[in-house]
Amino acid sequence: MAQPLVVKKDDDLDEEEYYSPFLGIEKGAVLQEARVFHDPQLDARRCCQVITKLLYLLNQGDTFTKVEATEVFFATTKLFQSKDAGLRRMVYLMIKELSPSADEVIIVTSSLMKDMNSKTDMYRANAIRVLCRIIDSTLLTQIERYLKQAIVDKNPVVASAALVSGIYLLQTSPEVVKRWSNEVQEAVQSRAALVQFHALALLHQIRQNDRLAVSKLVTSLTRGSVRSPLAQCLLIRYTSQVIRESGVNQGGDRPFFDFLESCLRNKAEMVILEAARAITELNGVTSRELTPAITVLQLFLSSSKPVLRFAAVRTLNKVASTHPLAVTNCNIDMESLISDQNRSIATLAITTLLKTGNESSVDRLMKQMTNFMSDIADEFKIVVVEAIRSLCLKFPLKYRSLMNFLSNILREEGGFEYKKAIVDSIIILIRDIPDAKESGLFHLCEFIEDCEFTYLSTQILHFLGNEGPKTSDPSKYIRYIYNRVILENATVRASAVSTLAKFGALVDSLKPRIFVLLRRCLFDGDDEVRDRATLYFKLLGGEATVGETEKDVNEFLFGSLDVPLVNLETSLRNYEPSDVPFDISSVSKETKSQPLAEKKSTGKKSAGPASAVSGPVSTVDASYEKLLSSIPEFADFGKLFKSSAPVELTEAETEYSVNVVKHIFDGHVVLQYNCTNTIPEQLLEQVVVFVDASEADEFLEVASKPLESLPYDSPGRTFVAFEKPEGVIATGKFSNILKFIVKEVDPSTGEAEDDGVEDEYQLEDLEIVSADYMLKVGVSNFRNAWESMDPESERVDEYGLGVRESLAEAVSAVISILGMQPCEGTDVVPSNSRSHTCLLSGVFIGNVKVLVRLSFGISAPKEVAMKLAVRSDDPEISDKIHEIVANG
Amino acid sequence: MILAVLFANSDGNILIERFHGVPAEERLHWRSFLVKLGSENLKGSKNEELHVASHKSVSIVYTTIGDVCLYIVGKDEYDELALAEVIFAITSAVKDVCGKPPTERLFLDKYGRICLCLDEIVWQGLLENTEKDRVRRLTRLKPPVEP
Repeated sequence: MAQPLVVKKDDDLDEEEYYSPFLGIEKGAVLQEARVFHDPQLDARRCCQVITKLLYLLNQGDTFTKVEATEVFFATTKLFQSKDAGLRRMVYLMIKELSPSADEVIIVTSSLMKDMNSKTDMYRANAIRVLCRIIDSTLLTQIERYLKQAIVDKNPVVASAALVSGIYLLQTSPEVVKRWSNEVQEAVQSRAALVQFHALALLHQIRQNDRLAVSKLVTSLTRGSVRSPLAQCLLIRYTSQVIRESGVNQGGDRPFFDFLESCLRNKAEMVILEAARAITELNGVTSRELTPAITVLQLFLSSSKPVLRFAAVRTLNKVASTHPLAVTNCNIDMESLISDQNRSIATLAITTLLKTGNESSVDRLMKQMTNFMSDIADEFKIVVVEAIRSLCLKFPLKYRSLMNFLSNILREEGGFEYKKAIVDSIIILIRDIPDAKESGLFHLCEFIEDCEFTYLSTQILHFLGNEGPKTSDPSKYIRYIYNRVILENATVRASAVSTLAKFGALVDSLKPRIFVLLRRCLFDGDDEVRDRATLYFKLLGGEATVGETEKDVNEFLFGSLDVPLVNLETSLRNYEPSDVPFDISSVSKETKSQPLAEKKSTGKKSAGPASAVSGPVSTVDASYEKLLSSIPEFADFGKLFKSSAPVELTEAETEYSVNVVKHIFDGHVVLQYNCTNTIPEQLLEQVVVFVDASEADEFLEVASKPLESLPYDSPGRTFVAFEKPEGVIATGKFSNILKFIVKEVDPSTGEAEDDGVEDEYQLEDLEIVSADYMLKVGVSNFRNAWESMDPESERVDEYGLGVRESLAEAVSAVISILGMQPCEGTDVVPSNSRSHTCLLSGVFIGNVKVLVRLSFGISAPKEVAMKLAVRSDDPEISDKIHEIVANG
Repeated sequence: MILAVLFANSDGNILIERFHGVPAEERLHWRSFLVKLGSENLKGSKNEELHVASHKSVSIVYTTIGDVCLYIVGKDEYDELALAEVIFAITSAVKDVCGKPPTERLFLDKYGRICLCLDEIVWQGLLENTEKDRVRRLTRLKPPVEP
């Protein structure tokens, strides 16, 4: 079959080279030809040919100058004299394409108005379309009467033309079109399918802001018969909008659900898919509601039409994120789509399978995916890599095959973004799954042997320097690192030198050999590499001192720079070369701006808490630790146990934006208030938060550190510290008032007035809860971790949680009371399940490891009961966890 | 809204393009994006086999008809299903005008009539007519035959 087709094609190609009707077409010549439009005896055929050439030029991106366009437009209007239907149709199109300017429109309106009132229906329809396209709102009011008549015209072509024109005009003259709603309402009842479709679309647009009207529209149409599948699809959309806004009935039924379900049995595939999609997107959809929709979607997965397969798999992919169990029935059909010709379909199928797959299917899935990855584009690959990362975090025991998969694809061709996604995933897996560390590091080492991206090489070297020395055999990584010194560009070489030094500092047995390697770097061609090598060489050899102990050396190598770069730069600029060496300790540690983590959260209110919940592990932020230890008042509070995510104390877009970070120590709590002044005309001074702790009995204020000045848009912070009894889970509510002296600023000079006025600003209350004393720390294998803990420490009790909205709501409430890390994806409750087990892990203040098993059950009247089993390093803490739940 | 209807030849040269509600400065980007999409996926694909892609609320359905590639971009209510309907209407009308899946030459020969069909099917980003016989009659200013 294929061969004759090819031959034929070649013939055609040859023909085209010589005979393309537009070969050598030139604008000037065509404009000349357009003069035939002025002939007293019009040659309709010839005129059509010229218009076609003009259209071709316009479609090729040629533009006409104002003069040319006007000339062609005037010439075209002459063609109204001809009665030739073919030519008239071309003229309508041409006028629309030329979009005449306002002063020219007047020339053609009379001809078009005449056509609009013509006895020939087709003239009417076309004239309406052209007029509506070119007129402005003043002219529109003149022809409004005709348009209203046209909407209810018995000829469907005329009615449709008026209706689509209405949809178009709604954007420019909504007040006029809204007056047509009676006529449009009548057109909705039309027997012509397309008229009904257009009328429904227009009516909904006219009434979209009137909820009651939309609801009435839906109620009446869902009872009657809507003829065209296109209109039916629109109706389904509008119905789901009404359902969304009205919620569930008192009887537990969803209004209009029967209509959606009946659409699943429609003849048109389009309608079935639209209905299935609408059902899956219902708020809080139950599995009883989902089942029929999933069943029809499953059938479409094996359709011969790519669009239907795509629509079905796209919908199922979305469902899999919220109701993975509901989609598992489709897994077999979904697997066959991995080899689908259409890569979009294949990628959606893969990522759906990754969401719904269980532990036993992972290996099989990985095998199928290997072939698939080679022939999709990078953007699809990134989606897959991200899905694999989540799967691995869900099933940590499967890290081996997933990690192997990632390392294999890391070796294949790919762009920067794709490679970065893989490297990031491997790093996250290493951090979260301790067992995966060694193999992960090894894969990263292999990768940097042949990595073309400097950024990724340096990231990996940095990570390797922090993690490599802590492995069982650090020496095996040295070869890979030193190879970088020999083979790579200066940036990577400098990173490699730092990494080598980290190994030397942390692994005594390697130190002499690292010396040898560092010595070789002393003669590197690049200044930075040489300087780093010299510094580390002297530091590790004890020739240079950065402190008194080895700890200081490590702090120097591993710690981040503890002075703000801006301050360091200023100090260095001010330093005058002399006998006195520059002293870094003289640089101010006071920062004007907030750490990055806080900045991100200030913009979006939800970012803070959300990231805290979803983040797999939350530990102490080194930058906070450093910041607090640099403040003398807090220096003797001991080790920082936990810093919370920022909690907003002001609404978005208020005059002053304030959020607070709770820093928990054994015997103290420090509240760090991050403040931003958003008024350019004000300078705030002596900013302090007055905290009323009368509803927090166990807390005693011991220190307050005011903020000297808070200029516009330059965030600053103030602190308040409390003492609390050690070993007690002290909780309470704090009310906060921001107090300050406000000074007016002259916007032109930026200078503040000398005198200020005292003022205050009420902030929202803040609570310290039990969860603040718990660190979210996950375990890779909950069962092993549970069994390795002393059974004696186990405390079990049962609780009634009363009537709850759903099981999922009860589970997430208990998780948030405890503030622990959900393990193995058990925080997700399959919809409609009657019971659920949730596994939690964390570290309680005093560094006590805690594991929790929660078993939930829900009865018919939504009464939830829970069994709580706790094991921990300290049986007393197990009791405390029960106390927290009992009081929560 | 149907954001774009674009015909190109197999080398990626534009034959007809219609944009609706797409700012002029973004058109070039769409043009090259669609042509690239086609060059990656349409080679060796069957005549009139539909290809589909989507990003957020924008869907793209594209195909080859004879030697010509056809791309349709839509958003909101014009999702992949509605666009499939649009593309079917357009390919049927083009085949009707040309008498068969067209070569590039044939397509250019019937250029004016194809422009008219397109004008009947998609008007200012809205699907107006779907049926090929009706479209054929309308392009000749003849009233459609009601069923």
